[in-house]
Amino acid sequence: MQTAAFICGGLLFMVGLYAVVFKDNLIKKVMGLTFISDSVNLVLIAMDYRPGAVVPIILPGVNPADFASTAAYPLTIALVLTNIVIAVATVSLILGLCIKIHGKAGTLSARRIWPDGQ
Amino acid sequence: MIEYALMLSVVAVALMSLYPKDLLKAVIIGTGIEGLALAVLYQELLASDVALTQAVIASTVLPGVFALTVYKTRRLEE
Repeated sequence: MQTAAFICGGLLFMVGLYAVVFKDNLIKKVMGLTFISDSVNLVLIAMDYRPGAVVPIILPGVNPADFASTAAYPLTIALVLTNIVIAVATVSLILGLCIKIHGKAGTLSARRIWPDGQ
Repeated sequence: MIEYALMLSVVAVALMSLYPKDLLKAVIIGTGIEGLALAVLYQELLASDVALTQAVIASTVLPGVFALTVYKTRRLEE
C-alpha cells in the first residue's frame, strides 16, 4: 500500500505538470499547481505509514513504551499540516493576480495575453 | 481495498477536471471532489489531523476562492 501511495503521488504530480505546461486557461494552470502541492503532501504522508500501526494519538492510561512501538510515526504529519495552509494562501495570492490580469488584458487565455510567445 | 480505489479515483478525477469548457464545473470537480477523496485517503494512511484540515480546506475554502475568481472573470473558457 505504501508503494501504491508513492506511485499515486507520482501520477498526480504528472497530471499537475501537464496542466501547468499544456493547458491554455490560467485558472486550469492554477489547478495544476494545487495538484502538484497535493501530490507532495501525499508522498510525505505515505512515508509515515506502517502496516498494522495505529493513529498516533496517545490516551491516558496507555504505557508510553507500548504506544511508541505500535503507533505510526508522527513527524511529517506536523510538516504537512503547515504545508496545506501555506498552499491555500499561495493559491489565493495567485488567483488575485489572475483577476488583475483579466482586468488589464480582458482575457484569461495565455495565448492571447502573451501572443507569439513574447 | 478501499485505499486502492481512492488512489485511482484521485488521479482519474484530477485528469477529468482539466477538460470541461465550463470553468465552474472544472473547479468544483478538480478542487472539491479530488480534495475530499484525498482527505479520506489521508485517514486511511493514519494521519487523522491532516485529514480533518484537508476536508475543511477542500470542501469550502479552495472551491470558494476559485469560484470567486470565475465569477470575477468569465465562466466559459474561450
